[in-house]
Amino acid sequence: MNRLQSEPFHTRARAALGNEQQRGALRKAIASIKERQLKVVARMDDWEQLRERARSIKDETLRRLDYYLEEFATKAERAGAKIHWARDAIEACSIICRIAQERDARSVVKSKSMASEEIKLNAALTAAGVEPVETDLGEWIIQLAGETPSHISVPAIHKTKAQVADLFAAKLGIERTDDIAALTNTARNTLRRRFAAADLGISGVNFGIAETGTILILENEGNIRLTTSLPKTHIALMGIEKVIPQLDDLDVMLKLIAPSGAGQRMTTYQSLITGTKKRRCDEGPEEVHIVLFDNGRTQMLAHPVTRQTLACLRCGACLNVCPVYQQIGGHAYGSVYPGPIGAVITPQLIGLSKASHLPFASSLCGACAEVCPVKIDIPELLLHLRAEIAEGSPNSAGADARGEKTPSRWGKERLAFRLWARVMSNRLLYEWSVRVARALQRKLVRDGQIRKPDRTAAGMMPPLMMAWTAQRDLRPVARQTFREQWRDELKKSKGGARHK
Amino acid sequence: MSTQSSGEARRAILASIRRNLKASQPHDARRDGNAFQLSRATPQGLQSLPSGSTDPGVTTDSASRVAEFRRRLESVGASCSVFQHEHEAASELERLIQEAGARRIAVSDAPLLKTIISHVNTGTKLLSEEAVLAGELFECEIGITSAQWGIAETGTLVLESERERHRLTSLIPPVHIAVIAAQRIVGTMSEALARVRGQGRDDLSRAVTFITGPSRTADIELTLALGMHGPRALHVLVISDDSNNMLSSAGEIKEW
Repeated sequence: MNRLQSEPFHTRARAALGNEQQRGALRKAIASIKERQLKVVARMDDWEQLRERARSIKDETLRRLDYYLEEFATKAERAGAKIHWARDAIEACSIICRIAQERDARSVVKSKSMASEEIKLNAALTAAGVEPVETDLGEWIIQLAGETPSHISVPAIHKTKAQVADLFAAKLGIERTDDIAALTNTARNTLRRRFAAADLGISGVNFGIAETGTILILENEGNIRLTTSLPKTHIALMGIEKVIPQLDDLDVMLKLIAPSGAGQRMTTYQSLITGTKKRRCDEGPEEVHIVLFDNGRTQMLAHPVTRQTLACLRCGACLNVCPVYQQIGGHAYGSVYPGPIGAVITPQLIGLSKASHLPFASSLCGACAEVCPVKIDIPELLLHLRAEIAEGSPNSAGADARGEKTPSRWGKERLAFRLWARVMSNRLLYEWSVRVARALQRKLVRDGQIRKPDRTAAGMMPPLMMAWTAQRDLRPVARQTFREQWRDELKKSKGGARHK
Repeated sequence: MSTQSSGEARRAILASIRRNLKASQPHDARRDGNAFQLSRATPQGLQSLPSGSTDPGVTTDSASRVAEFRRRLESVGASCSVFQHEHEAASELERLIQEAGARRIAVSDAPLLKTIISHVNTGTKLLSEEAVLAGELFECEIGITSAQWGIAETGTLVLESERERHRLTSLIPPVHIAVIAAQRIVGTMSEALARVRGQGRDDLSRAVTFITGPSRTADIELTLALGMHGPRALHVLVISDDSNNMLSSAGEIKEW
């Protein structure tokens, strides 16, 4: 996965901040999701116990991942599914393309799958002469627009209904309307024809149950049920971390993922598919293929802090509460997975040096950790990754090609902190520095703050301060430090006075 | 060729898992020994995991289960009516058919439906499932099925593919009418999963579908729209009489 765009993160972020329309749309949408989520969760007395239990289930599974994966594969095969293993994105794409080509599949319907975005499946299929059609409304909208999803559970969250209306009118040649029910109906009728004609259906997997070899896929629209029951062949793409031990574990998982992902008590449809149909005359596909892929997941098992990354349910709850995501939206992250979870998954999947800016795209407020249904401690993970980057772990060796976090910058930061430590640990040096700063700052203080300087004063400000004041004000050094005030007070009340 | 490389990939992935888990052991040992666990779960075998949550609000009384089931369904935009007798349900079916102005209706092969349908008077063409191909289903305005289980705490219908042929009939037509016996409504998701899992190795149907309300989307400006790909209307008819002899004299369900 090397989807990161060519501009550095701060450039993209700045551009996103300048896009008032997108910020407005995103803000409105996120406020709405959050309100629903809070309402649903507030009505669940056992929410915290559910989170705790889910985290236990995930921890247990990940610590014996090889056992559970093998059990899942065995049971699924016994029920007639064909299991494929792929070490990376390229292998996964090639397996799926081969299956499609062997069955001479021309038209493929796809349901929403972050995994398929991660491995860039659509591009691979198109290159292989197979046309993949997205069927989830949000995904179809962005496919028509030639864009990528900006949110894990609401892919077209950044689009207003006016924009969708324009898009449909332009791409489908229909009369322009921005009535949402009408737009939905247009999508339904157009996509229905595709379902009827499809040779092959491709889906993701939310959970794989080891006990029975079952895959569970959840949705609200119904396109997954159509994708997995109408075409003759069904291919399910499943990250190896999706496996859970028992069917009964779904009770906990389903009760967490619906409120977290969509602010609902329960998503509309769950399809539990075990192998293939027993008799030829039964409903459903003739073949079910499950492609298990790694693509960088197994290396996250090597440390308890990073291992929790694999507990992620891809619900998107962390995005909705993240102050950074809310302002800049998903595309600014430049990676398939945006927001808090994206900031920790992407560097681990593609290498710290290629995504070193992401763990820093956070204020460490911790809102994400509070809402995560499986209690992933994202701030802990961010700090862990930041430490790895700062210490120059093997992953982050060498300068980043795009110059985002070059060694010289790290050198400058290290120098600055060393200087700071020197000054702070020597009283005389500290007091002297304060006096010097007070003298030098005179020209830079306006209205009681050190602000971004105008042209005339710009030359007086050191580069570090320029960077700081570009977005923040700096409090100036006081006319009298506390120590100086204290000394003066003591002098005044000398003779008999006691200090408290 | 492909099996060979898949075998290679399988070995490589499993080996990578084992290798990385092994590398994690010293870090895990340090954390597990730490007195301050915070919210970290200690590693335990499956057996010692705490039992699943049960919603204290759901009782084991049949009438209150039905009431809860109905309340939940209505809150997600489905309609739910309870009938004492099959012929009452038949009247409701007639009403729904007329309301939808339906010309073609698909009916699944559920035994529960056979008697009810026989009471229904309508000029509409009823297609039984054997005769219906997927293509024809696209022309039907209503699909009528039964459900094997209902879950009170979530307002969910559970459809098992081995018990009835209803996978597409419950999905393709824009209106779905589901008939369910009151005794089939269990209290919790956990109970339903246990029923579906069954006792034997092969009891689990190849396709089990959970349905909680009509199809919906909020992908455009987070505004709710019903009937995206699945049915835009779901009507559930609960039958609480025993004229189809679902219960034995001891009050146990005779057949799963």
